Amino acid sequence: MKISYQWLGEHIKTESLPSPQAVAKQLTFKTVEVESVTVPGELLEHIVVGKIVSIEKHPNADKLKVCKVEIGKGKLEKGSLQIVCGGTNIREGMKVALGKIGAKVRWHGQGDLVELKATEIRGVKSFGMICAADEIGLGEMFAKKEEKEIIDLSKWKLGIGAPLVQALGLNDIIFDIDNKSLSNRPDLFGHYGIAREISAIFNVPLRPYNPPAIKKGKDLKLSVKVTDKRLCPRYMAVALGGITVGASPLWLQNRLRAAGLRPINNIVDITNYVMYEIGQPLHAFDALRLTPSSPPPTRGRMGGGFSIVVRRAKTGEKFVTLDGKERVLSKDMLMITDGEKNLAVAGVIGGAESGVNQSTTSIIFEAANFDALSVRKTAATLGLRTDSSTRFEKSLDPTQTEAALRRAVEMTLMLCPRARVISNIADASYYHLDRGPIVISEDFVSERVGALIPKKTIIKRLRSLGFRVKEKGKKIAVTVPTWRATKDISIAEDLVEEIVRLHGYERISARFPIFSITPPPRNSLHRLERRMKELLAYEFGYTETYNYSFESPEWLARLDEKTETHLELNNPIAKDRPLVREHMIPNLLMNVEANLHRFDRVALFEIGRVFWGKEMGEFADNKKKERLPKQPTLLGLVYAAKGEAQPYFQAAEAMKGVFDRLGVGVTFHKIASSRGACPAPQINPDTKLENKNQKQLWCGIHPHRFAEMRINDKPIGLIGELHPELQERVGIPYRVAMVEVNLNDVVSLLTERARYQPVPKYPDVTRDVAFFIDRDIQHATIAEKIQRADPLIASAELFDVFDGKNLPAGKKSMAYHIVYRSPDRTLTAEEVNLAHGRVVARLEKEFGADIRK
Amino acid sequence: MNLDLDGLKQQFAKELSTVSSLVELEAVERHFFSRSSGQLTSVMKDIGKLPPADKKSAGQKLNVLRQEMERALSDKRRAFSNKEMAERLEQESIDVTRQALPPKLHGHLHPLTQLEWQIEDFFRSMGFMVLDGPELESEYYNFEVLNIPATHPARDMQDTFFIKDLPGAVMRTHTSPVQVRALEEYGAPIRAIVPGRCFRNEATDTRHEHTFYHIEGLAVGRGISFSHLKGVLEATAKFLYGEDTEVRLRPKYYPFVEPGVNGEVTCFLCRGDGCKVCKKTGWLEIFGAGLMHPNVLKAGGVDPDEHQGFAFGIGLERLAMLKYGIEDIRHFESGDLRFLEQF
Repeated sequence: MKISYQWLGEHIKTESLPSPQAVAKQLTFKTVEVESVTVPGELLEHIVVGKIVSIEKHPNADKLKVCKVEIGKGKLEKGSLQIVCGGTNIREGMKVALGKIGAKVRWHGQGDLVELKATEIRGVKSFGMICAADEIGLGEMFAKKEEKEIIDLSKWKLGIGAPLVQALGLNDIIFDIDNKSLSNRPDLFGHYGIAREISAIFNVPLRPYNPPAIKKGKDLKLSVKVTDKRLCPRYMAVALGGITVGASPLWLQNRLRAAGLRPINNIVDITNYVMYEIGQPLHAFDALRLTPSSPPPTRGRMGGGFSIVVRRAKTGEKFVTLDGKERVLSKDMLMITDGEKNLAVAGVIGGAESGVNQSTTSIIFEAANFDALSVRKTAATLGLRTDSSTRFEKSLDPTQTEAALRRAVEMTLMLCPRARVISNIADASYYHLDRGPIVISEDFVSERVGALIPKKTIIKRLRSLGFRVKEKGKKIAVTVPTWRATKDISIAEDLVEEIVRLHGYERISARFPIFSITPPPRNSLHRLERRMKELLAYEFGYTETYNYSFESPEWLARLDEKTETHLELNNPIAKDRPLVREHMIPNLLMNVEANLHRFDRVALFEIGRVFWGKEMGEFADNKKKERLPKQPTLLGLVYAAKGEAQPYFQAAEAMKGVFDRLGVGVTFHKIASSRGACPAPQINPDTKLENKNQKQLWCGIHPHRFAEMRINDKPIGLIGELHPELQERVGIPYRVAMVEVNLNDVVSLLTERARYQPVPKYPDVTRDVAFFIDRDIQHATIAEKIQRADPLIASAELFDVFDGKNLPAGKKSMAYHIVYRSPDRTLTAEEVNLAHGRVVARLEKEFGADIRK
Repeated sequence: MNLDLDGLKQQFAKELSTVSSLVELEAVERHFFSRSSGQLTSVMKDIGKLPPADKKSAGQKLNVLRQEMERALSDKRRAFSNKEMAERLEQESIDVTRQALPPKLHGHLHPLTQLEWQIEDFFRSMGFMVLDGPELESEYYNFEVLNIPATHPARDMQDTFFIKDLPGAVMRTHTSPVQVRALEEYGAPIRAIVPGRCFRNEATDTRHEHTFYHIEGLAVGRGISFSHLKGVLEATAKFLYGEDTEVRLRPKYYPFVEPGVNGEVTCFLCRGDGCKVCKKTGWLEIFGAGLMHPNVLKAGGVDPDEHQGFAFGIGLERLAMLKYGIEDIRHFESGDLRFLEQF
């Protein structure tokens, strides 16, 4: 919102108004951020009002003229300048904006600023420039009718030689205020409210806002009927006749432009002026466009009666608004009507038909108060946020309608000499304001602030802002001013803010709170996450990434991932990613694909929440009935590298290592059907997952490179490789391993390692065994059998596997180091031979292994 | 019998001077010290033949000579082996500037994770607990309990993601819902921080993201005041940007605090002089904060007449962007290894 320094000068005496810099700084620290301070007139230096005294043809150019421009007879400027000009509208006696040498202009309104110098144009000297509007940044003020038109200042009484900035009243300073953060302060949506803050901050007097009472007229009987009093707590209206619609005077136009508005005509400008002065939106209807409730006594003259009816619209009703668009209304919208037809959408926008135009001669001003929520919803439904709706939705002071109406009438009578009030002042009033009093004390304020704020200061600060304060012993009873009472200030804490912000946050010293040293409860999940991240990154070489919580249905489809159970955003910002993720893997696979264009190896992980819409999570409110969707924290991990044909093992190794560090053992269990082909990239339907927490299986898994991970035989996650068909389909050049672990499941299974094996006292004896065996027999099964073959076996470690070519069909070759040891003696060769013989016999018997000698 | 000790000495010196390798040295040693045919050995044998009166002095002289010769030999030997070792070492010279091949692959933690942990540890050291809460949150916790009723214009300030067919559910727009969840679970007094992912429905560009990270902090206890809030914010600013960092506060409206403030800290780069990073102001805005609104305390089951609290929020991306000079906020969720491997 733009605030004009000059306009503030209307409400605070200019001599007591602090400098613009001080105003900007103090407003920022005590009220609201001033985002910028600009001086629009800066560009107009060295530009003065000049008068063309003579025009001659240019000897060498058809389209150029040589002008003598008078720039003054007074003390400031004397004489005239010779200027070469191509303006199509120049004439002798015309007043123009003359850029003297040193002025900065933008040629033809484009490009950078150029400083004017004495020059020669086709052989004729020129000592400046007669400016066009867009060349000196006044394009908005002086709309051009022709391409090569220069500014014509003749219609105003401007002194020749006067600096343009002063002549046009443009020597203003504009504050840009961050009003997005003012949603709690309806009183600050106009200059008077800002002036009030300045008055309180700098302790300078504020002029009372008290326009003269309206002398009512008798020609017309105006009545107001409100059918929904909650949505319209107040409605005031008055009619004026003798109106001449035309352009506003320069000062008014300048004010509006300073505030960022475009002047339209005197009546509309008045409504806007009042709105930007005290924050109260007004509306002006053309009275003749209303259907009278009783006809005028004399045809063609104003008279009789008008009845304004404020009621809800009918659903489906159509209405053409000021901007010429046809809108479809609903029964939630409040309308201003004349009893028969709609005139305006309450608080949002007027109708095209009843608006003021050049032929309007009598008007009805509306100053009303509408329900904030209703206006906000209506504006949102219509997609129309107007200056008016922005203000109403902040909950405006219902008492200010009166001042606003008086001000509008005062200005109309001033700007239209023949105007007069022709009706009574209609006022339908149903509002209620809770103005307190709120009782506070020096102790209360000081306790909240954490520093002594003397009673005197409290009272002074509050009074400066318009609060009424009464002392009752230690207590201070504070009555809230109407402009702060709608929503803003209702409790004692609200007053603390008023006091302390004016007092100055910088004056409050910083201290530490005192707390008991009770240790905070542990957050086991958070600790686990942190430990896992550290291990994966710093020990196992995986890089952490963050992905959006949203997924693309198209990508999921390419991965054959089902989306029926996915939650979906109602209003996704990235239209291609409307789904809320159920798994970590799909987005990670996108990372793999993207990064493999540049890297030979991608090892990534992410820990984050996923969203399972069909399962119950935390409570939605304190009634503890409704539940939110379940949102478990998952680890997702992917690994792919050039030349890595079986990345599964690398990923499994990392997982083993991580859980080993965490003090628990993780085991891998084949759960897909292992025999028979599974050509389609989906899981065998026979597969049963024990883990209820695993929402659903990934569909795109390699059915024979896939395992469930368990801790203490409890499932915690899945590991596998991406189905090669999908891998090719999504354009990933290498095999990809993927892991997903539900950390909520892991947390409950974590125990700290508290076991130790005594260091052996007697030496080990190691024997190796190598054999051919059926491909389907798994290492875990074999290792377990070996381990159990003899009590002297301390460990059996796989050191070689080969299942490539040149082997008997369906076989693989495996080799183990077997360590024999006794806790109480050194083993003899015979003992070891005997035990090793048992291992060999068992392998042959149980698995039909063909021992290699 | 005349023992020519001087001749022996000279001959030894002469032969030793011509030696140019360890092999030749060994030959010289054999020539003089060989048990069967050594020159020195034979002189020693001759001494035995001397009359007893001369034996003693001749023996002493010879002993001195022998020790000299042995020392000369060992010096020469050491010189040769030193030289050889030096040659060997030189041959073993390596390029100390090159990396091990194949290079060891390191993992990296996301910059926001690293920053989060630093801040987390700082607050843990002050006895704050670390909490988290649902990212898909109810309107009740995301708005209602935070003094943002359906009628409140602040609901417009929050561009919220809603969920299809799940009325009353939103992607949380801040970590503040956990203020009330925490009070419900742990009551007062409490000190907690809540790091977490938040969502706002806004178009992304170099400075805006629809997904971002906040660290929320709160402390509730008897007599918690604005001055305490200032103390903790100042300590945090000094922790982040050094001891000479100052904090300045200005009013800012958040419905769930009263009073509400924005916190700026001295620009760490120019230390307040004004630079590109702080847009010439000398200050960087990093906190939103305030005293917890009585309605929020009440919603958490805490009596605001008995306990008061403060709360604050820090945007992690902003801190990281300032710290590392990251130019585009969208890198954080890009999954791009070229970005991630720098941290």
